[in-house]
Amino acid sequence: MKRIYAIEELCLNCRLCEVYCKSAHSQSKDIIKANKYEEPAPVSRVTVYGDNFLSAALNCRHCDDPKCVKACITGAMTKDKKTGIVYVNEDKCIGCMTCLAVCPYGCIKEGKKAVKCDLCRNDDEPACVKNCPNHALIYAEPGGEEK
Amino acid sequence: MKYIIIGASAAGLACAEQIRKEDKNGEITVITKEKYLPYSRPSISYFLKGAVKESGIYLRKSSYYEASGIDIVTGTQVRSIDRKAKTVKAGRKTYSYDKLCLCTGSKPFIPPMENVSGKINALTFLDLESAGIIKKTADKKTRAVVIGGGLIGMKAAEGLSKICRSVDVVELSPRILPSILDEKSAKSVKKYIEEKGHIKFHLGQTVTRAGSEGNRITSVTLKDGKELPCDLLILAVGVRPETELAEKAGLEVNRGIVTDPGTMQTSDENIYAAGDCAVSVDMLDGSRRVIALWPNAVNQGIAAGSQMSGGDIRITSSYPVNAIDFYGLRICTCGLINVQDKKYTDKIIRSGSSYKRLIFEGSRLVGYVLINSSANAGIYTSLIETKTDLKTLEGDLSGTPDPFIFGKAERNKRMKGALDL
Ligand SMILES: Cc1cc2nc3c(=O)[nH]c(=O)nc-3n(C[C@H](O)[C@H](O)[C@H](O)COP(=O)(O)OP(=O)(O)OC[C@H]3O[C@@H](n4cnc5c(N)ncnc54)[C@H](O)[C@@H]3O)c2cc1C
Ligand code: SF4
Ligand code: SF4
Repeated sequence: MKRIYAIEELCLNCRLCEVYCKSAHSQSKDIIKANKYEEPAPVSRVTVYGDNFLSAALNCRHCDDPKCVKACITGAMTKDKKTGIVYVNEDKCIGCMTCLAVCPYGCIKEGKKAVKCDLCRNDDEPACVKNCPNHALIYAEPGGEEK
Repeated sequence: MKYIIIGASAAGLACAEQIRKEDKNGEITVITKEKYLPYSRPSISYFLKGAVKESGIYLRKSSYYEASGIDIVTGTQVRSIDRKAKTVKAGRKTYSYDKLCLCTGSKPFIPPMENVSGKINALTFLDLESAGIIKKTADKKTRAVVIGGGLIGMKAAEGLSKICRSVDVVELSPRILPSILDEKSAKSVKKYIEEKGHIKFHLGQTVTRAGSEGNRITSVTLKDGKELPCDLLILAVGVRPETELAEKAGLEVNRGIVTDPGTMQTSDENIYAAGDCAVSVDMLDGSRRVIALWPNAVNQGIAAGSQMSGGDIRITSSYPVNAIDFYGLRICTCGLINVQDKKYTDKIIRSGSSYKRLIFEGSRLVGYVLINSSANAGIYTSLIETKTDLKTLEGDLSGTPDPFIFGKAERNKRMKGALDL
């Protein structure tokens, strides 16, 4: 499956990926409303770590054998058989954060329900990748061409 | 091949699904005495307080089982195992097996109390059925008393506090959540819950007897003589492994069912055990005990299922990891948290309402307690699981752990999934 890969050598620490992730996962889908006014405030699923010297944007790996899915105590966290996307079923999730406690990469965010990257399931390319000004995020098939 | 699994919960379902992955044609039958398809046991308190609907509590869609060739027999208790004939008896039927897995889970432990047994408003809080009864009968007039201030008792109390007039929690230990909190953190959590949930605590106390009218309890009396009015009594002192079937069949049982810690095979080569009914070997201190938590049950179910169907998945690491919330306060714990030995050291970081306690053995992380500071807890968990020498890290652990605590090579592996881009 295609996954997002972060290239720390290219990351500018501008955090635009976070801004666009928030609007992509907001109710309004509007960049200003989503980042300033919406209640509850949308949570970015991608996080830039590091500083101006060295940084990188971390996203869910959509693991082949995901620990978060195995540990989920309600069956809310699942890996889609067809697409490989690991996502949360919000009707089932109780927000216990057991998934967060086992993700070895730190890719789940706290919220009323678990919040995580869904690779922008309904779009061709995730919003963070599309909007990174320096191509520090790429969306590619392992071993495949950069998109 | 014929596979029988007894118990259709975390371990039983994980076992069945793993068998199906590795053996496309085998006959898989899962027998449960509960009348429901596999559901999330931890969700019952959320169901009680109305945060999840009954439809959201089931682990899989009902159509899934037929499509996957997993036969779930509900409402059927297995009475006995005949190891010679390789059969189990359930109701009037006899099922034969080539491989059997016991996923019988926990049963409630109820301490002796006068005048409680058999009363219709004294209930345990371990299954969807009891949660359903409580939901139907409790209302704004109900004065509930919960015996037990551990994880299950506290979850019951939280759920009840949303629907009842009052909730009193009686706990034997001098602090709440004794298995996951130390004295100081327990105090602040207790204060928070008292304020948010209007729950009253009676610590260092037990219920000695109940007063009743007919078959209903109307009050309970504590050890110190205090009497509490009571319309609903929840018995949540603790759980014990359900090992009756295994014992009767002559399998080795030592508190829980004893298995090979890698393969989950019992003392009978055709019988496996997984989940709350089985003994785990804690990778962190080598202790043999039951780790009665959902993720552990799933992992053991997967390993047992794989071994039963000729696969090679083994348990390589068992340790407790748990995340829970009370009225929005998040508590996340992992590994060794109640250790006394001098070889362990700890570090406590507090700020505002957050509390973080990291427990070390030499230069390894072996446990944590995180209150309102769970961000990226899984990175700590992975350091514990992989027994990472903290001296090899480049960053400090006291803040929120992130990929930059690792050196470049490990970081790249984590960010790029070890790909050469
Ligand atoms: C209220 C509550 C909250 C919890 N919260 C958490 C949490 O937040 N995080 C966490 O990790 N864990 C939590 N747990 C614990 C978790 O639910 C258990 O660790 C987990 O369910 C264990 O799964 P299991 O498959 O081993 O056994 P169980 O879930 O106990 O299932 C065993 C099944 O076997 C059936 N059975 C037993 N004997 C027979 C027989 N002879 N014939 C037929 N069927 C039989 C039982 O009826 C039962 O359905 C909670 C538990 C409760 C009760
Ligand atoms: S959340 Fe973590 S464990 Fe789950 S798929 Fe993503 S990276 Fe893997
Ligand atoms: S927070 Fe939601 S998705 Fe995560 S383990 Fe709990 S129920 Fe599952």
